[in-house]
Amino acid sequence: MFKKIVSVLAFTACFAVNAAQEVNVYSYRQPFLVEPLFKTFTDKTGIKVNVVFAKKGMAERLKREGKHSPADILLTTDISRLIELQDNGLLQAVNSKNLEEAVPAQYRSADDTWFALTTRVRNIYSAKRLGKIDFNYEDLAKPEWKGRVCTRSGKHPYNVALVASMIAEHGEAGTLAWLEGVKSNLARKPQGNDRGQVQAINQKLCDVSLGNSYYFGNMLSDEKQKVWADSVYINFPNQSNRGAHVNISGMAMAKYAPNEDNAKALMEFLVSVPAQQLYAETNMEYPVRKGVNASKLVASWGEFTADKLPLEVIAKHRKTALKLLDKAKFDL
Amino acid sequence: MTNIIDIRQLQVKLQQRSILSGISFTLEAGEILGLVGPSGCGKTTLLNTLAGFIEQESGDITVGNTLLINKQNRVPPEQRNIGMIFQDYALFPHLTVEKNVGFGLDKLSKAAKQSRIDELLTLLELQELGQRYPHQLSGGQQQRVAIARALAPQPQILLLDEPFSNIDARLRNELMIEIRQLLKSLNMTAIFVTHNKDEVFTFADKIAVMFEGQILQLGSPIYVSQQPNSWQVADFLQLGSWLPFQLKEDAGKKLAETAIGTIELTREQSYANKSSTEDVNHSGKQLLLIKPKEIEVNIETDKNDNSQAIPNVIVNHIGITEHGYHYIVNSLDNSPELTFDRLSFYHDQVFSLGQQLSICIKHHQYLTFQQNKM
Amino acid sequence: MISGNRSKVWQIVSWATASILVLPIFIMLVSGFSATTELFSHLWDTVLPTYVLNTLYLAIVVGILSIFFGVISAALITQTNIKAKNILRWLLMLPLAMPAYLVAYLYTDLFDYAGPVQRNLREFFGWESPADYWFFDIRTLFGAGVVISLVLFPYIYMLARTAFEQQDQNLHRASRLLGLTTFQTFYKVCLPLARPAIAIAVSLVLMETLADFATVQYFAVNTLTTAVYDTWLGYGDLSTANALASLLTLMVFFVILFEQKARLKQRHQSNRPTRGNHIIVLSISQQFFASLFCWALAVFGFLLPMFLLVLMALEYATIEQLDVLISTGFNSIELAIYTATIATLIAIVLVLYKRLHQDKYKAVPLNVSGFGYAIPGTVLAMAMLATFGPLDGFINEMAVKLSIEEPGLILSGTIFAIVFALVVRFSAIANGTISGGVEQISQSIDLAPPSLGVKQLKSLFTVHIPLLKSSIFIAWLLVFVEAMKELPAVLLLRPFNFDTLSTQIYQLISDERLEQGAIGAILIVAFGLIPIIWLNKSEDKV
Repeated sequence: MFKKIVSVLAFTACFAVNAAQEVNVYSYRQPFLVEPLFKTFTDKTGIKVNVVFAKKGMAERLKREGKHSPADILLTTDISRLIELQDNGLLQAVNSKNLEEAVPAQYRSADDTWFALTTRVRNIYSAKRLGKIDFNYEDLAKPEWKGRVCTRSGKHPYNVALVASMIAEHGEAGTLAWLEGVKSNLARKPQGNDRGQVQAINQKLCDVSLGNSYYFGNMLSDEKQKVWADSVYINFPNQSNRGAHVNISGMAMAKYAPNEDNAKALMEFLVSVPAQQLYAETNMEYPVRKGVNASKLVASWGEFTADKLPLEVIAKHRKTALKLLDKAKFDL
Repeated sequence: MTNIIDIRQLQVKLQQRSILSGISFTLEAGEILGLVGPSGCGKTTLLNTLAGFIEQESGDITVGNTLLINKQNRVPPEQRNIGMIFQDYALFPHLTVEKNVGFGLDKLSKAAKQSRIDELLTLLELQELGQRYPHQLSGGQQQRVAIARALAPQPQILLLDEPFSNIDARLRNELMIEIRQLLKSLNMTAIFVTHNKDEVFTFADKIAVMFEGQILQLGSPIYVSQQPNSWQVADFLQLGSWLPFQLKEDAGKKLAETAIGTIELTREQSYANKSSTEDVNHSGKQLLLIKPKEIEVNIETDKNDNSQAIPNVIVNHIGITEHGYHYIVNSLDNSPELTFDRLSFYHDQVFSLGQQLSICIKHHQYLTFQQNKM
Repeated sequence: MISGNRSKVWQIVSWATASILVLPIFIMLVSGFSATTELFSHLWDTVLPTYVLNTLYLAIVVGILSIFFGVISAALITQTNIKAKNILRWLLMLPLAMPAYLVAYLYTDLFDYAGPVQRNLREFFGWESPADYWFFDIRTLFGAGVVISLVLFPYIYMLARTAFEQQDQNLHRASRLLGLTTFQTFYKVCLPLARPAIAIAVSLVLMETLADFATVQYFAVNTLTTAVYDTWLGYGDLSTANALASLLTLMVFFVILFEQKARLKQRHQSNRPTRGNHIIVLSISQQFFASLFCWALAVFGFLLPMFLLVLMALEYATIEQLDVLISTGFNSIELAIYTATIATLIAIVLVLYKRLHQDKYKAVPLNVSGFGYAIPGTVLAMAMLATFGPLDGFINEMAVKLSIEEPGLILSGTIFAIVFALVVRFSAIANGTISGGVEQISQSIDLAPPSLGVKQLKSLFTVHIPLLKSSIFIAWLLVFVEAMKELPAVLLLRPFNFDTLSTQIYQLISDERLEQGAIGAILIVAFGLIPIIWLNKSEDKV
């Protein structure tokens, strides 16, 4: 039996990373979203990109691996993850003119440990049958929407971040009241994902839902889902006041990155004009780099004002947001 | 003749409970010993201890004069040179008869192994069945394979755990004689366990009656059945029925007062229960062992005959056997100490159920026992 | 029985193996003890009671439903003249091949308000809104319970069926002669006799249910596992997460105790099996309902989801997918082979250690090595990282001291960690299967070789292992399939550029694009069918 284990060990050793021209990425993002970018990068530089994708537990893995971790770059879909990594001392600052020039100060950390790649808006979708409406997030708690609101789990990072921004605006008590109001307006228990809510609007189960901007684009480009998307308007909330809540997808360099130079090269590539354009085109997100335009489709939804609330504040309120969601028993 | 096995003061404990204590006996080459006793008396444990499956607490086992096994020198079963035939035969279901028989012969060369297998198959008349699998054999054939397999490595002693319990009663006697002759022809020493006393009388040279982890009596079957040394031995071997009595001394005569009259004990032998405490006289019942042939029925000739004996028993059960009608009678006397309900005898004449009879005990060498309270 | 040095070696190997397998669980428990009370009391004041209740309700619903499905179908197949019995016999085992998360996804999609079934109903009847009609809500605790029961009931069906078939037919005859009808006999004799086997199966089902993360998620049902995720990923408090996971493990521990008790009571099965005897003849209406019941189980547990997958595959399959499929499929198979082989070897060592040694605590290694089954894959993966991360650090430091090249994360960063996690998780299956096989071997077979002068250790290879051949093979296959299906542990522990069928499917599911992974899903199911077909065959041989 031990022979067997030894042979497994010997076998697995082959998988251990060897130090050729390569860069290792731990990604919270779906591989199909980032793979085309990596492919372009490899074609251009000859540096191979290795990826592990996981939605859950990546930070924990990095922490446990400690200084022997092979990870160079971390890609996340949410500001909170970046801050969590930063708080745990798992990141290192990257001094790069290119990065500083490309990413507006609002979308990177003051100490250069993390950088946003794209921004995405937490929109409110509404049924076309209702006509155009100007929404505030606050409206979702109003009694007129009773039984007409759909959303995915309140615990989803996108919703948690939104709740955190509400805390920044209205304080804990105000946010709790809002959550309770939204909960009482729900047409059904929080479930599914953002697209599922649009589908539900299409099927007249509800009239409004929360959803990220790029899903709208993705749905429009899918044959089957186009029908759903066609039945709703995408609304940018709070345009008459603080602006729509914006989250980011971002990147950071691991503290013990073994391939620092390659990692830096990849990070710089990801904010370069062609990469940002690719992001904009394929993922329907808003590129973070000034001067790179959103895709035509995304641009057609119109200009919007983004909430200026610093991303750090959102991350700071995250745990409180979770506690309020628990208190409101939002998902139950 | 030399002792093939010598057991001294063997003691075995399982889970802190004493299972065997003070077991001592020897067997000479070619002797067959039958171990009997009620279930739970430790027969199988003794067998398993000898085989090496259970460790002894103390005492010595010497196999073939040379191999001493005790607490200090534990010998694993495979080095004891003791063979065993299991109650369910334990034939390897995935091996053919030949492979089963050859299983313990790995030390031999290939040719020697094959010739030994052939020899045994012939000896046990299994030549035709060498390529069969155990489940394709009858019970008797399976048993012969088990014997062949156990004999193959030429053990010094063969242990048999209830070897005949799975055999059709009709074939059993024949098979026992056959196997006994085989063992005798090989001068094989054997110990077997059974709960059937008839098997012992047919199969064994010696009998050991066990009770509560001890050997109560060991000897030739004839001697033991004639001179049982305790109530348990006699009872287990079903040597006769029990007649309670109270001892009276009258002018130097020893008189046994029973429910069917007073008997003068002239040639009495009395045994106390071996495993009981010292003051048996006060705690237990005194019993006479009455073999069926010692009971005589006073036949009623004429109902008006005054000399006719007074009935003292009532017929409780009638059976038909090759020895004539078998009767079990109860006492009519209801005195609590002497009443009995299972006196058994045979008679040619027909009595009816519930009929009252007068019986008496023939004069013979009385065996009296002390039955301690169980 | 076995003596000498080799026995010592065996003993040491057994205890060491078991200790290694429990180590991650131990680390999880220890970490749980250091949890702060603050977060815990917040959870307790808000959502935790509901989660705990949901977990209990789910366990109860799944327990009752899977007994209902499994025992009745087993009874109908073994005790009645139900039509198409020979097909149903094995068809009812097939749902086991379906990963629960897959069925959950397919069914929530299908029966959701916006799903095709309700949509078409609405179109057909002209209904406008939910207020116009009633349709069951699949995304409820009960819906989750039904779907989980549909894929897990075959455990109960299989064990109950075997128990029914192996009952001593004289018991049935005796009961009939004592004046009971066949139905009464079933109720008063067969069912009580099969109860221990059913209890064992139920405990397996409950363990799977309690450890489940992925399935309930699709049903928007919050259970204790949700709390584990929330505390760990949301609040970032691993200790509290571990404490909650320990709570879950505790629940499972009680299930194990219950199972062990049931095993003790399991009666000796007779070698006069009853198959084919004393058949209850069903009336026409009974026949109809019995068939409906069994076919509904087969359809909803296997045929329908399989049909949906095949439809998707036909519509969306492309050559490129097939290309990716081959490499990910190979990864899956590779992982599953390692896991199955190691778990089976460990099981053989531990089972035979328990069987052949006279050590007072000989059963302990076997029993504790199965605890991992109870631990949700993600939690187990965390425990792996906590165990092997520091160990890797130590190895690298040693390497530096000895001035050899640092080996990197040879334990936590390679498939070693995955295989280890899978072995910890699925050892219980191999242990159970091989234990069952050993119990079939008469005790005297153990004793025969030494009485013939053959060392027991040697006789293992000539006697026990050949006799256990089919149990070993079935154990291997069952672990193989489970390892193919397992998701969370692989997801979290895999090395770079390493995808398996299940991780690929999961990624596609989480992006609502299962269509493109349909072939992969079919492949997993197909592999899952192999051991089931084998099990069925080997049972027919008996």
